[in-house]
Amino acid sequence: MRARLAGLFLAVSAIAVFAEDEPAGARRSELAELLQSDEGAAFARATAAREFVFPHDHGPHPGYRNEWWYFTGNLTDGAGRRFGFELTIFRFALAPDAPASPSAWRTNQVYIAHFAITDADGGRFLAAERFARGAVGLAGAVAEPFRVWVGDWQIAARGAPGSRERWRLSANDEDFAIALDLDALKTPVLNGVDGLSQKSAESGNASYYYSITRWDAAGTITLDGETFAVDGLAWLDREWSSSALGSDQQGWDWFALQLDDGSELMFYQLRRLDGSADPLSAGTWVAPDGRARHLARDEVDIEVTATWTSPAGGTYPAGWTLAVPSLALELAIEPVLADQELFTTVRYWEGAVDATGRQGAAPVGGRGYVELTGYADAVPAGR
Amino acid sequence: MARTLIRANAGFLARHPWQLAMVFLGVGIGVAVIVAVDLANASARKAFLLSMDTLTGQATHQVVGGPAGIDEAVYVRLRVEEGIGAIAPVVEGYVEVSGRTLRVLGIDPFAEQEIRSFTTRLDEEGTAEAENVFAAFLTRPGAAVLAATTAARLDLATGDEFEVIAAGRAERAVLVGTYAAAGADDLLTVDIATAQAWFGREGRLSRIDVRLPADEDGAKARFAAALPSDTTLLSAAGRTQSTADMSNAFMTNLTAMSLLALLVGLFLIYNSVSFSVLQRRGLIGVLRALGVTRAQVFRIVLAEAEQRGLVAAAAGVAFGVWLGERLLALVAQSINDFYFRVTVTDVAIGGLSLAKGVAAGVGAALAGALVPAVEAAGFRPRLALARSVLERRTGNLLPVVTAAGVILVLAAILLVAVSGRSLVAGLTAVFMLILGVALCVPLAVGRLSARAAPLFGRAGGVIARLAVSDIAAGLSRTGVAIVALAVAVAATIGVSVMVDSFRGSVADWLTGTLSADVYAGVERGSLAPGLVAAFRATPGVAAMSTTRRAWLEDEGGRTELRVLGMVPESRTGIELLEAADDVWTAFGNADVVLVSEPYAYRNRVGTGSVLSLRTGAGEAGFRVAGVYQSYDINASAILMSRSTYDRHFDDPRVDSVGLYLEPGIDPDRVIAALEALAEGTQELVIDSNRNIRELSLAIFDRTFRITDVLYWLALGVAMIGILGAMLALQLERARDLAILRAVGMTPRQLGAMIVLQTAVIGLFAGLAAIPLGTAMAWLLIDVINRRAFGWQIDMSVGPEILLSSTLFAILAAVLAGLYPARRAATSVPALAMREE
Repeated sequence: MRARLAGLFLAVSAIAVFAEDEPAGARRSELAELLQSDEGAAFARATAAREFVFPHDHGPHPGYRNEWWYFTGNLTDGAGRRFGFELTIFRFALAPDAPASPSAWRTNQVYIAHFAITDADGGRFLAAERFARGAVGLAGAVAEPFRVWVGDWQIAARGAPGSRERWRLSANDEDFAIALDLDALKTPVLNGVDGLSQKSAESGNASYYYSITRWDAAGTITLDGETFAVDGLAWLDREWSSSALGSDQQGWDWFALQLDDGSELMFYQLRRLDGSADPLSAGTWVAPDGRARHLARDEVDIEVTATWTSPAGGTYPAGWTLAVPSLALELAIEPVLADQELFTTVRYWEGAVDATGRQGAAPVGGRGYVELTGYADAVPAGR
Repeated sequence: MARTLIRANAGFLARHPWQLAMVFLGVGIGVAVIVAVDLANASARKAFLLSMDTLTGQATHQVVGGPAGIDEAVYVRLRVEEGIGAIAPVVEGYVEVSGRTLRVLGIDPFAEQEIRSFTTRLDEEGTAEAENVFAAFLTRPGAAVLAATTAARLDLATGDEFEVIAAGRAERAVLVGTYAAAGADDLLTVDIATAQAWFGREGRLSRIDVRLPADEDGAKARFAAALPSDTTLLSAAGRTQSTADMSNAFMTNLTAMSLLALLVGLFLIYNSVSFSVLQRRGLIGVLRALGVTRAQVFRIVLAEAEQRGLVAAAAGVAFGVWLGERLLALVAQSINDFYFRVTVTDVAIGGLSLAKGVAAGVGAALAGALVPAVEAAGFRPRLALARSVLERRTGNLLPVVTAAGVILVLAAILLVAVSGRSLVAGLTAVFMLILGVALCVPLAVGRLSARAAPLFGRAGGVIARLAVSDIAAGLSRTGVAIVALAVAVAATIGVSVMVDSFRGSVADWLTGTLSADVYAGVERGSLAPGLVAAFRATPGVAAMSTTRRAWLEDEGGRTELRVLGMVPESRTGIELLEAADDVWTAFGNADVVLVSEPYAYRNRVGTGSVLSLRTGAGEAGFRVAGVYQSYDINASAILMSRSTYDRHFDDPRVDSVGLYLEPGIDPDRVIAALEALAEGTQELVIDSNRNIRELSLAIFDRTFRITDVLYWLALGVAMIGILGAMLALQLERARDLAILRAVGMTPRQLGAMIVLQTAVIGLFAGLAAIPLGTAMAWLLIDVINRRAFGWQIDMSVGPEILLSSTLFAILAAVLAGLYPARRAATSVPALAMREE
């Protein structure tokens, strides 16, 4: 679903890497131009359902304009100290075809990575960003053996291939680092309709989207030289597309919840400029046994119960009630920390949350991640 | 009091504006030359440092490799495996765009942010949509960014396609944006992929820029430990410094020449101030009678000189700025030819340069006024100082002055003997020699003219006799004029002899070195591999030598490694100054090298020494088998045989070849054949040895054009000095001259006498200049050049230089004497006699 976020990253990263500082308004207009340009037509497009083949589809799809490997998770150390993490690697194609050149540095592929740690008990949120071209080994993605990396941040298969994915993830910045062994507890689920996730009514404005919603994660988190042995659950989102933006869209709220009954719920709500929810908002419910069920927009009710105003401007929702009557599911969702805003080249909020509620009569709880975009940009021009 | 007195004097000066003009010229030209040279030097240096600063950015260190650069895998390993950030790869080179040489900076924009900011901070104006620029820069071969000023100079707008010549090949480029960075003139920023493709450097980096934390000592050691043995980590500031230092000797020499102009100007000031004091001897006498003390008179004269010096210095500074702008082009040209690329468009007007000029001007004015001030203070009340009194006093002083001169000359010789290799000490010795000889000149002139007067009298009658004996009689004036002219002419002799000797040595050396018949190479690049073999197989080619000019760099700076694929014929091209017995057998097979004479001088090595060089497999020892002659300005060169090079370095490139033709083959036909072979592959520079020799000498001559300019200026000052001296003499002796007229000398005869007098002054100056000039030439050749560049030059003094410079001195003196002669001839005797 995060096509738009991806596009935004690309455009703004380009500006960050390669231009004068410009007001946010200028960025948005350039962004719109980029994402609505005809150049998109030459890229491969997600127009019809396809057959997903693993592990092949864990690897890159360079003909599409953008793609990402999106890991989030909630971890605890032996003493019960609570952590959240995000490690996302984005791939962008700057042009539909790889340019011919005698130099190995020449490429149309660019990689960007975001890494964040939420130290709930320490009340801290740390984030970092990396860029590299997808050439000469500086960054890239390979299906077999699986590896995607930007510099020394990477997600890669570990050990011999088995029936389930067994990966390792590692990233570090000056003051914080993570190294996790990840074991998939479920098989990939296809979001949307057989993995085709429609973004707007226009054909081809869609992405291919699958998730592995439950991983066992164990390893270490290092903060300021102090290392914590942690374990918990992680979630992988994989998506690729060449989608353009709907010009009437403002941003979205994305929820990924791992409930303690063994089920997971993913739902994204596209917000229009007028504040209403886009009808193409949708989700997936994954049963404890791994079977997936598509959730349409009208199957899910979301109410904002609290807000948080960023010191840098922009007011984000900071508490929700989420109800899925068809599943008899009612949840109250709360961030473990109010400030989990990333000051990467695009400012957005992506943070660990707690969920409590009931399914039918039975109480149910869980943990997860929420992503909120388009709120920072909503700051009036001139800020 | 002093104020009133100065005002009285001011009135006098207003009535004699040309005197002011003379001080202005003396101080002004001297100051102007000093300021101009200082500004030109400082601007060239500043422009270089600024561009290095811009290029270096935040990098504290740089990883450099061997002649073939660094394997790009090293960079990838540092980033991906070692996880090191704050490093940026660079592929550099030079291209020609519309005849202009641009430095190419090939970068990875993703790695730039922690090292350089300008490369990715584009102007909003004239730059297409930022994200398109970014995409184009990365994906479009030839996409380039220029400083807005450079783009304007090349008449390029964003979106324009243009051609660049890289290593002899024409490549397409497109301007995708501009930046407004200081120090980025003539810098073409492209993606690293573009740079690799243009320069045929696939897989290689020129260097890796590194930003290490300043406070952590271990960081450097840890980083260095992660590097392979064929690379080394150097301080960025140190690299800039050692590059800048290459031109130090050149700039020091220029500064010395500018001081010479001021030194000559000093004589002029002396003349002018003495003159104005003399003219006012009546006024000063009255003042003394009115109770003005000697000390006050002394102070007035000095204060006046200071005032005038200040004004003149200010004017000189203004002129110097103007002159500096013109000089800068010459300085930059010389630096570009020999040291490093520097783009200077504007003179950077440094306060320090201007202050130096003003201080030098005022100092010179005071120094020049000192003796006249003492003179003036010695005037007795109401008693016009008789000429004879002054001359007697001068006569008494002469032995002391001459002794001081002799001591200075001896001190200069001593200084040369004990100062080892110091260039500054060598230049100091030159100045001491000049001053010393200058101090000896008046006595010599006095004696000489006293002896010569009867001779002239016998040959030319009473007028000639008077003309010559008057020189001795007016020694306090004429002596100084002769010294000024002698110094200027001696400098001309010294530099001419030096340049001629140098040129002769270079010409001989070129003849010997260029042993092949035809040379083919690429400007700033290497020959396409296929061409080398094709050239060898060209009909008419009997043998072929190859050359590769590689660079080795360590903390001490860059050293040229010249790699020779020799054939027996090319041995004659190496003039060995000293060598081991086995030099040629060892050269091709063992780990031995030859070193250039300047290299040997600078690094204090000789036959049998062992050099440690960083090869592809780390440090290795090479025995020096001989020292060869070289006048190349990048003279610190090491000569290695191709086979030895290939054993130690992975770099098969050949930059140029020398072709030895079969007997009777026309070089032009072979050149045409070679050009046909290279057609479409590479644009080559192919030429016969004769043309190369001529071209080299043309460059040589161009380099010394700047010295010519400075010496003409010095000579101009000297001529004005003679003019001033003659006018002063006339003024003092107006009554004598009037009497001569009254007793029947015609205006024509009087004019002839004065012209003859100046001609003899010129002759004396020319004669004095011969020993001084020869001594200067020796100092310049054996002391200054050796210390500055390490060259050994055979000194050759042609009689025609000595003869022509003496004639020149006479001519200059006669020219300077024409106006005074005319003035004297047309003056009304009655008025002159009444003056007193």
